[in-house]
Amino acid sequence: MGEFNVISTRAPRLDAAAKATGKAKYADDFSMPGMLHGAILQSPIAHGKILNIDISRARRLPGVKAVMTAKEAGLVKYGVSPARYDETLYAYEKVRYVGDEVAAVAAVDLATALEALQLIKVDYEELPAVFDMFEAMKEGAPLIHDEFPGNLTAEVHQEFGDTEAAMAECDLIVDHTLLNKRQDAAFIEPHCCLANFDLDGKLTLQTSTQVPHYVMRTVAMVLRIPVGNVRVVKPYVGGGFGPKAEATPLEMSAALLARETGKPVKMNYSREQVFLHSRARHQFYAEMSLGVKKDGTMVAVRNKAVLDGGAYTSFGIATVYYSGSLLGGPYKLKAMKYDGMRAYTNKPACGAQRGHGGVIHRAAFEQLVDRTAQQLGLDPLEMRLKNIMATGDVTINELDMSSLGMKECLESVRDGSGWYKKKGKLPKGKGIGSACGFFVSGAGYPIYRSDTYHATVMVKLSEDGGIVNILSGSAEIGQGSDTMMAMIAAEALGVPLDCVRVVSGDTDLTVDLGAYSSRQTLMTGHAVKEAAEHARAQVVEVLADMMKCDPASITIREGKLLFDGGPGKFDEIRKTYMKEHRGWTDPPSGDYLTFKEAARMAYLAKGTIVGTGKYKPPKLGGSYKGAAVGTSPAYGCSAQVVEVTVDMETGEVTVDAMTDAHDCGRAINRTQVEGQMQGSLSMGLGECLFEEVKFDSRGRILNASLGEYKIPTALDMPNVNTIIVESNEPKGPFGAKEVGEGAIMPTIPAILNAIYDATGVRITELPVSPERLYMGMKAKKKEK
Amino acid sequence: MLLPRFEYHEPTTLEEALKLLSELGGNAKVLAGGTDLLVRMKQKIDRPAHVISLARIPGLKEVTPRNGHGISVGAGASAAALSRHELLWDRFTPLASASSRLGSPLIRNRATIGGNLVNARPAADMPPACMVLNATVKLKSRSDERDVPVAEFFRGPGETVIEPNELMVSVNMETPPPWTGGAYFKLAARKSLEISLVNVAALITLKSSNGAIVDAKIALSAVAPTPVRAYAAEQVLIGNKPSDKLFQKAGETGVGMCSPITDHRGTMEYRCMMIEVLTKRCLSMALESARSWKPLK
Amino acid sequence: MKRIIQLTVNGELAEVAVDPNRTLLQVLREDLGLTGTKHGCGLGDCGACTVILDGQPVNSCLVLAVQANGSDVLTIEGLAENGKLHPLQQAFVEKGAIQCGFCSPGMILSAKALLDQNPKPTEKDIRMALSGNLCRCTGYQKIVEAVQAAANGEYMQGGDS
Repeated sequence: MGEFNVISTRAPRLDAAAKATGKAKYADDFSMPGMLHGAILQSPIAHGKILNIDISRARRLPGVKAVMTAKEAGLVKYGVSPARYDETLYAYEKVRYVGDEVAAVAAVDLATALEALQLIKVDYEELPAVFDMFEAMKEGAPLIHDEFPGNLTAEVHQEFGDTEAAMAECDLIVDHTLLNKRQDAAFIEPHCCLANFDLDGKLTLQTSTQVPHYVMRTVAMVLRIPVGNVRVVKPYVGGGFGPKAEATPLEMSAALLARETGKPVKMNYSREQVFLHSRARHQFYAEMSLGVKKDGTMVAVRNKAVLDGGAYTSFGIATVYYSGSLLGGPYKLKAMKYDGMRAYTNKPACGAQRGHGGVIHRAAFEQLVDRTAQQLGLDPLEMRLKNIMATGDVTINELDMSSLGMKECLESVRDGSGWYKKKGKLPKGKGIGSACGFFVSGAGYPIYRSDTYHATVMVKLSEDGGIVNILSGSAEIGQGSDTMMAMIAAEALGVPLDCVRVVSGDTDLTVDLGAYSSRQTLMTGHAVKEAAEHARAQVVEVLADMMKCDPASITIREGKLLFDGGPGKFDEIRKTYMKEHRGWTDPPSGDYLTFKEAARMAYLAKGTIVGTGKYKPPKLGGSYKGAAVGTSPAYGCSAQVVEVTVDMETGEVTVDAMTDAHDCGRAINRTQVEGQMQGSLSMGLGECLFEEVKFDSRGRILNASLGEYKIPTALDMPNVNTIIVESNEPKGPFGAKEVGEGAIMPTIPAILNAIYDATGVRITELPVSPERLYMGMKAKKKEK
Repeated sequence: MLLPRFEYHEPTTLEEALKLLSELGGNAKVLAGGTDLLVRMKQKIDRPAHVISLARIPGLKEVTPRNGHGISVGAGASAAALSRHELLWDRFTPLASASSRLGSPLIRNRATIGGNLVNARPAADMPPACMVLNATVKLKSRSDERDVPVAEFFRGPGETVIEPNELMVSVNMETPPPWTGGAYFKLAARKSLEISLVNVAALITLKSSNGAIVDAKIALSAVAPTPVRAYAAEQVLIGNKPSDKLFQKAGETGVGMCSPITDHRGTMEYRCMMIEVLTKRCLSMALESARSWKPLK
Repeated sequence: MKRIIQLTVNGELAEVAVDPNRTLLQVLREDLGLTGTKHGCGLGDCGACTVILDGQPVNSCLVLAVQANGSDVLTIEGLAENGKLHPLQQAFVEKGAIQCGFCSPGMILSAKALLDQNPKPTEKDIRMALSGNLCRCTGYQKIVEAVQAAANGEYMQGGDS
């Protein structure tokens, strides 16, 4: 730890005090004079033709200022991947799920807007709907999008090596299936935005988003405004986790209504509407086979995925690719075959959620490893150790593990949990399980095909030299990226953290793709480091000139300059500074020249000192179809051991202990890394045991509330023994890579493997409600 | 989420409240804690034209012991207050326990026993506890007053015998005899903020510290449209020495008294099996409590 | 018809004219400009709207503003004194108990109510007291550690905000 001055510490977050005092403003905390409230009319049926929409009565309601339908909004198609722009802002011709947006209203207050929605008369011709992904792909199923026969949004077939041949070499082939249910990210802050046009036609959109950049582009495209006239500003955000990583109909509606009325328009999703909007984790069916040698060496994998994507594509193409590509590691394989299909159904669209398409297939695979180990009579954790990759290895699908602390992660959870003391020695009803996982540190390619930089940053020194301002379009959504940037900049510059300020999340500042695919520490961090170094170089250049020395002989540490390791003779410089600050009662003092004084001199010599930095990953990945998805400049990895107690009479599962080791390359902020690990694990625990979005037979969500969609409470989550592993990633700033999403990967399977250890029941369907486990135990008893 | 519009009344005496109820009756809803009514109003399930708040009426929140002969619990007493009441934990354990499991600490600070009983949600926590304690509820109207045993209070989901012009003012229980112990069990997915799958309350009276069972009361909720007393299961116990096997038999019998449904929270089959398991457990806990009965100082 | 209510908010008397169908949460945020209390669900399921009402932590989304007439309300804005963070706020900041921060105001107030009642809570007591406040970011661990640290007197009143 002595290696660094700022990074690798437990510095408190820059924004913590603002959040602790209620000063931090989130989207709904803003209002503007004359502000109107908007509301969206949503389809009550799952599938139907729109025969007619009559907005006349709504328009006439006193207090209503605008009513928009597809007719007024236009039909520009959008989505997430340009290859699948399959949505229009409002439905035209047909609605495809309960919740599909049909119209929007702006009025003087929310109550009036909601009343106006009731006055919009929509004539539907109800069509047969399909809610099951397998049913949707069958012949004769209702067609949801005309352009996609068989309701197939995307189909992936990949093979690496010769799987047939490899399987034939195996001593044992084991099969497993796993089915989860669609999830909701359940961030505590519902979506909210405030749109306002100025008199020059420039839109400012304040919104709770992870991706100001993508929102800016989508809004510009759909509303046909020049990109330069769209400014997206992200205020404090109360959690994102994936569903807030795309432009929403809320944002586009607010902008449209603001343009139409000439007034600011505020819009919120109610908690129920957050569920209806979704864009959260898909339902996945995983079916896979693992071929091994009898000594436990893994040889080949056959992997199949079927995804329920809901009514639109959203992130779905990337999702279905990730379900395959993220099995390429962290174990060595000779061959891998992947077939994936994503189906449309008449339900809200699914998108990306923490860990994206990798989570359920990782869970299934880690159960498969345990199953295989059991059949071979091997300790499952030892079997993992035997097969893991190491730094420098490349996966069979050409993902480069430039750093991979997988061994260290596994060994530390093995030792930290007391694995050998417990495995096979626990009483009935208690179990211990292990699992591994890995994830990208930022997607190798932007969502739209482009040569764009993924991150650009400006570091601007205040002209008195005292403050370092970081300007970045990146998105602090609670994960701690602002503090990460400040710490990296402070480290690179050689100044204390408390003189660094961050302004972020504003598309007017710089280009940054935003918070998704766990990218900001590595990518934005790189750009910040470069920008800080650039600013530093300018200061050093001026000082070297003034002090008549070699720039390379100047070091900056803790805000002080050293010349050849010593204080140097800087009296003249200090005198100049003092002359310029007559009247100040707290001038710089001490035996060393301060950064403040040096930066001031640099300003006097060069004008405003601005350092710029940028980051674009090198061309990554193979040349096969879909190779882009899964590529990343670096990969984080983790291992977990979980202990459970199962109430054998009721099926209730209590997670007693979790030991988690995550290789984040370098922990820029140790407390924040631990926090991300613990948060990931709590989401994994919830998804394993409690969470599922439930539908009735007409496609309506039954549990669209935080009371009935159950995320863990403080009584449900144990303490986690968190272990940070640092493999010092060569391609990461100061060696750092991701933690935000990768940490969730081993959670579900570690719990499932522990449940098996406790009960002998191998779970094939999530969530593991008490009833599901109870029925599993009952069936097992019958077998015996 | 917005509340619909309504006329708000804030009577300062019980008489005033009863007068309002007699006038507005079917068009009014009583507001106590609000954790049920306001939720239903936001969800547009209830849209009363009038809301009558009990906040200003004195004397509805008190928990008044009646000198060893029982206790009178004001209908406006909060679940939090009940969950912290020493005498309730000691002598009326199922009620204290049920109160402590309701919702969350935040909800408990507002939710009242009157509300929990009158709202009559099938999965409500307090009804089965009140049933095994043989509680009666005092209902007052402008001109009348009546005491209704809790066992006869519930008619169906959301429906009780309370008339639109009546207000529940108190819940009254006799102190159980010596060597009585009680317990309450709740089965749910998470450990807080839950609507249960199965609730069981039990009260056992022994002849002596290790004597036979002279009286037993078992009540369940979330397993039928209303809370149910498992009379047949109680009969299995009465007159016999407690044992695991006996409790198992009682549990099995209890299932027959229930008519759980299959809904998105769970299947009928599982609920039935849990009735058996949890009844047995609840009885074991009640037994332990009965065996450690001590006279009050 | 609107009613005039008077309530003490963070030690100051406030007088507001409100419709009966406005919740305390709405009036705090929209009429009094105290946006620190958050709206997460509106149905009492998440605790983001927690305030301390007459000494007890409650979901302000399920309290009518008119019911709070004559009451004493403490919101997150009322915790720091003269710009100095309350020990709980300091603890939350130092221990990493805050990530996105949306649950934090409610969480901190529930913790304060706990420590006011029970100055030396066990871990179980803390988790129970916070079981009505949902957090999706932290997994609760550092929140519990912060409350324990504050209870242990590791942070005295008077830290810098």
